[in-house]
Amino acid sequence: MTSTMLNACMRFIALFTAALLMTLTLSGCWNRRELNDMAVAIAIGIDRVDEQYEVTIQTVDPSQMSNNRNVDRFPTRIYSEKASTIFEALRKVTSKSSRKIYLAHLLLLLFNEEMARDGIKEPLDFLFRDHEVRPDFNIAVTRGYQTKDVLSIVTPLEVLSALDLYRSLNVSQKLWAPTAAVNINEMMVMLTNDGVEPILTGLTLIGDLNKGLSADNVKQPRPYLYFKFKGIGVFRKDRLVGWLNEPDSKSFSYVNNHVSSTVGSVQCPGSKKRFAIELVKSKVSREPSIRNGSPHMKLIVHVSGNVGEVQCETEINDKSIIELQELASEQLKSIIENSIQHVQSQYGVDIYGFGANFHQKYPKQWRQWRTNWNEQFAQMSIEVQMDYHLRLIGKIISPFGNNPQQKKE
Amino acid sequence: MKSQIDQQLFSDRLDDNKRLLLDLMGNSTDFISRDLKLNGYIPIALFYLEGMVDITAVQEGVISSLLDRAQQLGGPINPETIQQHILNMGEVGLELNIATALDHLLSGSLLLLLEGHCEAVVVHLPGWEDRAISESSTQSVVRGPQNSFNETLRTNTTLVRRRVKDIRVRLKTIQIGKLTKTDVAIMYVDGVADPKLVDDLIRRLEHADYKNILEGEYIEELLLEKKQQTIFPVVYNTDRPDTIAAGMLEAKIAIFIDGTPFVLLVPSLFVDFIQSAEDYYQSYFYSNLIRLLRYTALIICMMGPAIYIALTTYHQDMLPTQLLLSLAAQREGVPFPAFFEALLMEITFEILREAGIRMPRTVGQAVSIVGTIVIGQAAVEASIVSAVMVIVVAITAISSFVIPSYGMSIPIRICRFGFMILAASFGFLGLTVGGIILILHLCSLHSFGVPYMSPYAPYNKSKQSDAILRFPIRNHSNKGEQ
Repeated sequence: MTSTMLNACMRFIALFTAALLMTLTLSGCWNRRELNDMAVAIAIGIDRVDEQYEVTIQTVDPSQMSNNRNVDRFPTRIYSEKASTIFEALRKVTSKSSRKIYLAHLLLLLFNEEMARDGIKEPLDFLFRDHEVRPDFNIAVTRGYQTKDVLSIVTPLEVLSALDLYRSLNVSQKLWAPTAAVNINEMMVMLTNDGVEPILTGLTLIGDLNKGLSADNVKQPRPYLYFKFKGIGVFRKDRLVGWLNEPDSKSFSYVNNHVSSTVGSVQCPGSKKRFAIELVKSKVSREPSIRNGSPHMKLIVHVSGNVGEVQCETEINDKSIIELQELASEQLKSIIENSIQHVQSQYGVDIYGFGANFHQKYPKQWRQWRTNWNEQFAQMSIEVQMDYHLRLIGKIISPFGNNPQQKKE
Repeated sequence: MKSQIDQQLFSDRLDDNKRLLLDLMGNSTDFISRDLKLNGYIPIALFYLEGMVDITAVQEGVISSLLDRAQQLGGPINPETIQQHILNMGEVGLELNIATALDHLLSGSLLLLLEGHCEAVVVHLPGWEDRAISESSTQSVVRGPQNSFNETLRTNTTLVRRRVKDIRVRLKTIQIGKLTKTDVAIMYVDGVADPKLVDDLIRRLEHADYKNILEGEYIEELLLEKKQQTIFPVVYNTDRPDTIAAGMLEAKIAIFIDGTPFVLLVPSLFVDFIQSAEDYYQSYFYSNLIRLLRYTALIICMMGPAIYIALTTYHQDMLPTQLLLSLAAQREGVPFPAFFEALLMEITFEILREAGIRMPRTVGQAVSIVGTIVIGQAAVEASIVSAVMVIVVAITAISSFVIPSYGMSIPIRICRFGFMILAASFGFLGLTVGGIILILHLCSLHSFGVPYMSPYAPYNKSKQSDAILRFPIRNHSNKGEQ
C-alpha cells in the first residue's frame, strides 16, 4: 500500500512539474496585474505641437464607477505629455500617475487637424505594434480644437466623455449617416490596400470652451459646450486633404453601405413644402466594367423607405405614393451622383474603394491603372441606377386637413 | 479462545451446553436462556438475544407449539421431529457446530437444545426495531418513486426485487468482517450482467480480509484497482431503489451492505454521477434542458472562481469595457490580490458548509444567519472582499448542489482549488493545461475494467442515446425483446 502511495506521489510530482514547465515555456506574454493596479485608458488624443507629439490620455478613476460614488471627484483623469514618440510620451505619464496605463480598452483615438494634415502613419505605428492594444477603437479628427481640449470636456449622458463620444459616433453612423465610425483595423486596410484611400470622421466642439471643461457643463439641460461629429475627412495616403460637406458625407455612407437607417427630406410635388422619408434598408451594389478601355462604375442603389412626415397638400393614395417614390428616388440619385463628381473633381482620391472592385474583377488592367489610379478615378464615368421602394406610410393616411371624409362633413 | 471453539461441537448434555453457551456469551444481559419441559419430562432449553428476535413469534410460535404439539405428536421427541413436525416457522435448521450456531444466534436466531441430543435446532426469527422506509434524503425527486433504502439488508433487496420481477434476478450473500460478520449481498440480472465481472466481484468479496464492515465505503476501497489513485468516485452509491434497479437492467451489479441504506453499483461511469433518476421521469425535452443546465453548473462549480481570477488578473482585455470598469470599481480598496480574496471566501464557505452538515439540526439556523451576515454583508462592507467575489463564490456554491451525486461534487470542489491556483499563476493558459490534465486523468480511469469516460471516450455511438442528452425512451434499447 505504501509503495503505491509513494508511486502516486511521484507521479503527481512528475505531472505537476511537467505542467509547470509547459505553462512556463509555452506561455507567450502573460503578466499578472490586479485590477486596482492599473489605470484603464479609454481615449488617446495625439496633437502635433512644435514638432513633437503631445499625447493626451483619458483614464478612468474606477472608484467613481461604482453606484455609491463620491461626487466631489471626477470619474475621468486626463494626463498629457510631450515627447518625440508616442511610446515615450505614454511612459512619461507614469511619473504623474500611480498606476500603469492599460491600453487594451481604448475606445477612441483622436488626432488634431494639424496632425492629420501632417500624416498619421507614424503615430499609428505604435498602436498597430503594441501587443496590449486591442484593434477595435474608433479614430476621429478634431476640427478646430486640440484633442487635449476635446478629451477634457464634460459630457452629459455618460460619466466618461470618451464613452459618450464613442457611442455617439457609432449611433450616428447607423441612424443619421454623415459620419463614419472607422476603427483602427479598417484604417490599416485603407492605408495598405490598393485602390482605396482612407477617410476619417470629423469631430468638433460647439460653445464656450472654458465653461465646458468643468462639471458645471452638465448641471443644466443645455450645456455650455458640446461636441458634434461633423463631416468626413478625405485623405490622400495618410494625409488629410479636405472635408466633405453633409450631403456628400451622407452619400459616402450610402455608397459604402454604412447606412442602416437614416432620414431624408424631399420636396413635395407641386409645392415648396417637403416630405420626409425614413430609410429602413439600403444597399448599394457595384458593377465595375470597362468601356473604351477606361473604367466605368455602375452603382445599383436598393433602398426601402417609409413615409415619415408629410407636409404636402396632396392626398396619399396609391398613385401619389408612386409619385413621391419617383421624387425621392431622383433626389437620392442626384445626391449620390453629385457627391461622387464632387470628390472626383475636388480631391481626386478614391475614398469609395472603387479601385479595389476593379482590382478584383480586372486584375490585368489593374496593373496598368494601379500607379495612377487616383487620376483614373477622377476621370471615371459613374452610372447610378435606382431601385427605390416606399413601403409604409405610418399610422395616418393623408395629412391632417386633407382627409376626404372630413371635407364632406 | 476463539480458535478453540471454532471446531467444537455440542455435547449431548444440556447442562454442559448451557454452561458453555453462557460462558461464551460472557453472561451478557441480553442473552436469554429459557428452560422448558416437553411433555412434562423432556428438558429443553431456548437461547436467544433479546431485541434481536421477534419476541411475539418466540412466545406464540415457538414456545406454545413446543408445549402443545409435542403432546399431540406422541412418540419420541428429537431435533428432527421438532424441525419437521412441531415448529411451524419458515426457516428451521439443525446445527452441530457451536461457533456456527452462535453466529446464527447473533444474527437473530433462536437456539433450541434438547437433553440427550447434540444437535441444536436453529430457528431464524429475526425481529428488531427498524427505521421505516422513508423518502430519500440525498437524492430527492419531484416526480418518481419516493421510497428509499433503510438499514436492513432484506428490506433493501426486496425493494429492488419488487421492481424487477424476473426469475433471472440473482442474489448472492457473503458474510464479510471477522467481528461484524456483515452480510454483503450482490444482486444482478443473470444474462445481462457480465458473468466474468460477477465472478470477479464474488472472488474479491470472498477474499476480503476485514475485521469490520460498517458502511459501503469499506467495500468500495476494497474494489478499487490497486494502481488507480484518484479523487473521483468509481463506485456509485445511492439510497434510491429505482436507480439501483435501473442500473441492474443496464448490466450493472448492485452491492447491498447490511446496516447502511447506501447501495453500491459497479461498474460506474462518469456519466452516472451527473445523471439524476428524475431525468427519466420527466419529459425528455425538459430533462435535456436540465442536463445542459447541470453541465453548465458543473463547469461553474469547478472553474467559476478560477475564471474570475484569470479574467481579472491576466486577461482584462477580454472583458467588455463597462464590465471591466465596474469590476475595477468594486475592487477599489480591497487589500488582497484577487486569488487570495477568492481563497478566503471559498474556505469560509467550505467551513460553513461542513458546519451545516455536522451540527445538530436545531442550531442550523444560527449558522446560516451568521454565514449570510458574515459572508454576504459584513465582509463586503468592511472592504475585505469585493461584492463580485461574493457573487462568484455564491454561484459556485449553489452550482455544487446541482450535481446530483454528492460523491461527484466532492472531487469537483477539490479541483476548484487546484484550478484557482493555476489561474492565479498562469491565467487561462494554466486553466487550459489544467483542464487537459484533468481530462487525461479521467480518461485513464477504469471502473471494473470499464473505461470511466465511456461512452464518450472510447466513443460508443449506440450508447449516445442516453449520454449527454436523453433521447425519448422509445429510442433507447427498451423494446420488449428478450
